[in-house]
Amino acid sequence: MPASTRRRTADLVVHLAGFSRELRRTGIPVSPGDTIDAAAALALLDIGDPEEVRLGLRTSLKVEPASWDAFDRAFDRMWRKAETHPSRPDGARRRQPPRPWPGQGNPLEALRRKLEREGLTTRADPAVNAGRPGYSPRALLRDKEFDPSVPGDLAEMERFLAILARKMATRPSRRLVPTPGGSVIDVRRSFRRSLARGGELVELARRGRAVEKPHVVALCDTSGSMDPYSRFFIAFLLALSKVLRRTETFAFNTSLTRLTPWIASGNVADTLKRFAGHVEDWSGGTRIGACLLEFADRYLRQTVAPDTSVLIFSDGLDRGDVRSLETGLLAIRRRARRVIWLNPLMGDPRYRPEARGMKTAIPHIDGLVPAHDLASLAVLLPMLSRRSRCRQGAGGVGKAGVIRSAHEN
Amino acid sequence: MRPEIDGLRKAMREMEYVAEPAIATAVHLARAMKKPLLVEGDAGVGKTEIAKVMSRIMETELIRLQCYEGLDANTALYEWNYQKQILRLRIAAEKGGDGEDLEEIIFGRPYLLERPLLRAITRPAKAPVLLIDEIDHADEGFEAFLLEVLSDFQVSVPELGTIRATHRPFVVLTSNRTREIGDALRRRCLYLFIEHPDLAKEVEVIRAKVPGIAERLAREIAVFVGELRGRRLMKPPGVAETLDWARALVMLHRDRLDARTVTLTLGCLVKDRHDTGELGSEEIGAMVGAVGQTG
Repeated sequence: MPASTRRRTADLVVHLAGFSRELRRTGIPVSPGDTIDAAAALALLDIGDPEEVRLGLRTSLKVEPASWDAFDRAFDRMWRKAETHPSRPDGARRRQPPRPWPGQGNPLEALRRKLEREGLTTRADPAVNAGRPGYSPRALLRDKEFDPSVPGDLAEMERFLAILARKMATRPSRRLVPTPGGSVIDVRRSFRRSLARGGELVELARRGRAVEKPHVVALCDTSGSMDPYSRFFIAFLLALSKVLRRTETFAFNTSLTRLTPWIASGNVADTLKRFAGHVEDWSGGTRIGACLLEFADRYLRQTVAPDTSVLIFSDGLDRGDVRSLETGLLAIRRRARRVIWLNPLMGDPRYRPEARGMKTAIPHIDGLVPAHDLASLAVLLPMLSRRSRCRQGAGGVGKAGVIRSAHEN
Repeated sequence: MRPEIDGLRKAMREMEYVAEPAIATAVHLARAMKKPLLVEGDAGVGKTEIAKVMSRIMETELIRLQCYEGLDANTALYEWNYQKQILRLRIAAEKGGDGEDLEEIIFGRPYLLERPLLRAITRPAKAPVLLIDEIDHADEGFEAFLLEVLSDFQVSVPELGTIRATHRPFVVLTSNRTREIGDALRRRCLYLFIEHPDLAKEVEVIRAKVPGIAERLAREIAVFVGELRGRRLMKPPGVAETLDWARALVMLHRDRLDARTVTLTLGCLVKDRHDTGELGSEEIGAMVGAVGQTG
């Protein structure tokens, strides 16, 4: 390889590292392994053909279609520009602080800190928010101080949910596991056992269908009116995701954010801090309908299967339009096993579901359940573990505000 | 464009597969980098076809593993041939042979049934194409198991020891995105998402796959199907549906679309009751009219 080519390759690799960093900054997850793949791919591509480089990088960095637009913009910024200015003098290179890898650091946290530093604690400032590429006008990010008492609540919640999860484990899987008295003969194990008796099949090993825990998707409203219950919800969600590993969590108010990647960590205090950093417009208004529609469009297929229970935590106080709420719920319900609405306002015996949003939702959900404290969640249990799906809509609310729930079929 | 990529495109075209640059680039990279290729996209956009076409181009065997819920290692990897083993034991019992030797014999390669994954790494002559179809239907546990096979291309059978790949197969995984594929597996692969084809590509596909179709009809079909996809149906038609429909129309000796024929043959294209309900005869009439004007 001639020296000039070698230098060019080295330049390319440096450029590629910068590109990966840029992608991470815009929220596209790129791991060091992906960057290595991309470097290997560059060697196999015609570098003079920007279109080919774009397609090759997209494939080797494993960029999903949802991020294609952001990817293309970043690509145009960094590669098409590099094309017109092939060599950059060293002076142009600025030292940047090392950026954290995804999973540990949190780019939104940085933005949140910035807002805090600039004294923007209460009002949204479009000028600042517009600085973040790839996003429409941002809702306000507010730092919430979390009560240190939460870990205690959490332990209690976890104990409760652990019991709950065992009771909920009723989903028969198609997977076969060794089960005494199971319905299928396990030839491999039977034969192994028979060897001890000189190949005489004395007893047969059997297999039966595994029993699995239910899959749950939780959509929680984080608007201002839900503030008093947010701590309770978060404890519930953290405990739930620990007990049921496949739980997906989303937060919504005026927009929808997927929280699942951020609640994987075992450290509660950290997770709570992350939550405040990550949910846009924590404590603000609600547009339930628009958010449910967004969920249906972007995440429904991947996260909701016919055996998934969808939990919606919300007080149903909506300022968006009711039609989209209806359409969104319909789409979700068509795919999910059941949709259960958890409403903290039902803790008040005088509560009637008369808010416009709640009224619209009731015909399209499988159950409406109170959710203001641990004890109230007990009603949720039988609903999640019931095998058949409650078909004809919400059970409605009894006079005492207690769930009369659904259809003892 | 690299000549290899262009060559691959032409070769795929000869096999009646219309590969746009994104597909050709991804396949080229996956082959050259010896990495599995994860292909995602809606049903009927030609994911599985990639593996089939590549096996023909590489003139090698196609080994297919169809995934479903409950698929386990026994079905995917290997199984012992119990009947044969028991038979061997009976013979030995009559002759009165030595037990220890016997164990070695009945847990030897001749008594092993190769399932797709093991088969794919033990081909003696040349590397096959391994198609792992609809991986999203398998359980997550299976995904983790697959990860092990795909990263080292070796398989350990407790009774036999480790079996290493004689040739690394070219691996294509497909997913309909009914669930998210785990990050670990995704990172191990190169990634390709196939979109519904644009008008020009769809016309080309129809003409390649349905010989003897009039160009005008092919174009009208593509326009109509494109229009349908824009309508947010529950199950938008894929290329596979387009081709079925085109073949049906050729069989009916049509050379243009008309509202009646479309209504009668709509079952080739729209396969959901809710969607069929959305498309009344007026709707179809209007759509056919619009298509006629563009054609």
